[in-house]
Amino acid sequence: MIADLVDRHWDVIVIGTGIGGGTIGRALAEKGLSVLFVEKGPAGHRAEETPLNPAMADPVARALRGFWPTPVTAQIDGKMRSFFAPLGSGLGGSSVFYAATLERPEPHDLDHSDARPHPNGGWPVSHAAMRPWYDAAEAMYHVCGEDDPLSGHPGNLRAPPPLSATDTAIMTGLRRGGLHPYRLHAALRHLDGCRECLGFKCPLPCKMDGRSAGVEPALATGRAALLDRCEVTALHGTAGHITQITALRDGEPITLRADRFVLAAGAFGSPRLLLASASTAWPDGCANASGLVGRNLMFHLNEMFAIWPKGVQDSGPSKSVGLRDLYHLDGQRFGMVQAMGISAGYGEITHYLQQWLAQTGLRRLSGLSRIPAAIAARMLGRAQVFVGLLEDMPYPENRITYDPAAPGAIRLEYRLHPELLTRRRQFRKAIRRGFRGQTPLFLTWRPELNFGHPCGTLRFGNDPATSVLDPDCRAHGIDNLHVVDASFFPTSMGVNPSLTIAANALRVAARMTEERCATI
Amino acid sequence: MRDDLSKGLAVVTGAGSGLGRALAMELVARRVQVAGFGRRAEALAQTAALAGQGFHPHMVDVSDADAVAGAFATLQSRLGPVTILINNAAVYPRRDILEETPQSFMASVAVNLGGMVNCTDAALRAMVVTGQGRIMNVSTFADIAPLPASSGYAVSKGAARIYTRALVADLGDRFPWIVINDWMPGMLATQMGIADGLDPAVAARWGVSLALWLDPSLTGTIFEMDRELLPQRSFKGRIKDRLLLRTRLKPRLLA
Repeated sequence: MIADLVDRHWDVIVIGTGIGGGTIGRALAEKGLSVLFVEKGPAGHRAEETPLNPAMADPVARALRGFWPTPVTAQIDGKMRSFFAPLGSGLGGSSVFYAATLERPEPHDLDHSDARPHPNGGWPVSHAAMRPWYDAAEAMYHVCGEDDPLSGHPGNLRAPPPLSATDTAIMTGLRRGGLHPYRLHAALRHLDGCRECLGFKCPLPCKMDGRSAGVEPALATGRAALLDRCEVTALHGTAGHITQITALRDGEPITLRADRFVLAAGAFGSPRLLLASASTAWPDGCANASGLVGRNLMFHLNEMFAIWPKGVQDSGPSKSVGLRDLYHLDGQRFGMVQAMGISAGYGEITHYLQQWLAQTGLRRLSGLSRIPAAIAARMLGRAQVFVGLLEDMPYPENRITYDPAAPGAIRLEYRLHPELLTRRRQFRKAIRRGFRGQTPLFLTWRPELNFGHPCGTLRFGNDPATSVLDPDCRAHGIDNLHVVDASFFPTSMGVNPSLTIAANALRVAARMTEERCATI
Repeated sequence: MRDDLSKGLAVVTGAGSGLGRALAMELVARRVQVAGFGRRAEALAQTAALAGQGFHPHMVDVSDADAVAGAFATLQSRLGPVTILINNAAVYPRRDILEETPQSFMASVAVNLGGMVNCTDAALRAMVVTGQGRIMNVSTFADIAPLPASSGYAVSKGAARIYTRALVADLGDRFPWIVINDWMPGMLATQMGIADGLDPAVAARWGVSLALWLDPSLTGTIFEMDRELLPQRSFKGRIKDRLLLRTRLKPRLLA
């Protein structure tokens, strides 16, 4: 069985099965191509409901659960840190753990205009050109929600289920405060038995992710196959063409062949694999003539805050309210605000107070924070936790690095640019002002990078000197290599990356099949 | 949203006598189909006669892994999937450690630990597909202070408690609806127990209530007779809990 997959010459090999890989593999298989998905982690059991657990440290236990097995080594502002990032490594990638928030970016995220100048002149594909692909991705992922009342561009959304009592009260409170909340855009089918599965694997084909909306329908066509527990180690070929890839399947070396190769190993994994593929054909790494592979790494900054909306009964957390009032304000690029699906009681607030005490050097007193937290919880009831996503900007010195001595390790260097810190202060001020009716309490003290939203490390553009990929997300100078994960983003936008990854994967699939028709 | 466990099939090991027989009878009385495992056909037939319709005797030695796998396959095709497993079978030979041979010692381990491993492994094959099931291991404190002439029993039953914890470590977060825990029935008036012990029929009512209770928060808990045993807190810990206004956990009770 495995030998058949290895011996076959595939139309397309897709490396990685997250949102990007799953979406493009499905689109290509449905158009009649033979597709092999290659996934580093295990397929797992379909009924698993595993939550992502950063406290689990054993690499074998992590790998079994579809977590990225090893810690990320990060040099942040010169300081070395090692931690488990919220990353998946298994069928569906990180997306099986995600909150399924599939939000469209604003036109200014992609386009340059005099009123809202873009930091690098705009993406090579405009917001208008992306719109049909956003429509298609929203349909494929069964996205439900309400249009943002501030936006002039309606999405392709299904009607969401009725609002909970908590959310109704939150919406009312926010509207009374002059804000414009709407139902977040969620890739949930709300099938019988739906529990929304935010943060853990969905045992039903209900939460739509790289597995349920991508790989599983692709396999159902009969033209696709999955090779799991298979870590790609290098791409091989001549100067302008990939001929084969090498991989370790359960530790055994294998070689896989195809006409075309799609890289979707994530914004950490994809550049690392290209750097690991340095050879006489590509001495600086595959597709790295620009020297930009791995550079311009971006995240979002998470600004978490609690609010105590009036009239909210204790009927569970909200994950269905978002707003864009602060998205672009006073000429500044901020981002959207959304409910986090956490209602903070005594325990959570204690945790944040402890963090704050640890930060101020009063760690010994941290047990005492339970007393004010208990009082706060009693006086104020349960808080709803919101997060503001702050757009990050591309800087070449922020990057993924590759160490041949540790080829599988994720290593990065990142500096919090003064510009970002200034904009963060303004964003917090805007949140405080925007939510003044709700007495917001910030739960983040230091700038908090969202390591679940990496992007930008293989940016696309028109000029091969300043970008890694062309506007069709094909590597400059290599005719059969495409990249469809968040690596292609030239800027990080003010929304969650998933919908844009999916929409772009559908766009690239269409380009690849047009091209294939043209060559036959 | 979750299927009612009692609509599936329950496997009770050691159903030919004592607590196993009482558990099987109580399950059948609550309209649950039971496959009773045992080594002696005659004893199983007696249980069948006492339990009535809904009891399916199955001659199988739980220490034989292949036989157990075969039995589960047969049951699955004949009576549907096993949704409840009560690992009850055990032997308690009273033997001085100087009289135990390595072979006789390991024979106890093969039933008391091996039987649990064999049956759990076979039951999990189907449970991980549906993501749902109930495994209750009948357990004892015999490992804490082994009695004289009880080495095989104390060691194997102690290892079985560790096996429960290992199951929880591997499966608890991945399959929250496969609910796994230990139940200590108490000192019973059975062949293995003591003459003036508790009537096994009384214990079986608690045991069956616990085995039919599908709640992810039960995974990893220990129940003694009809009451949950909460993890011990030190004196210092209890003082701290009071000072820091931590809410006190209350043990859950079985009807």
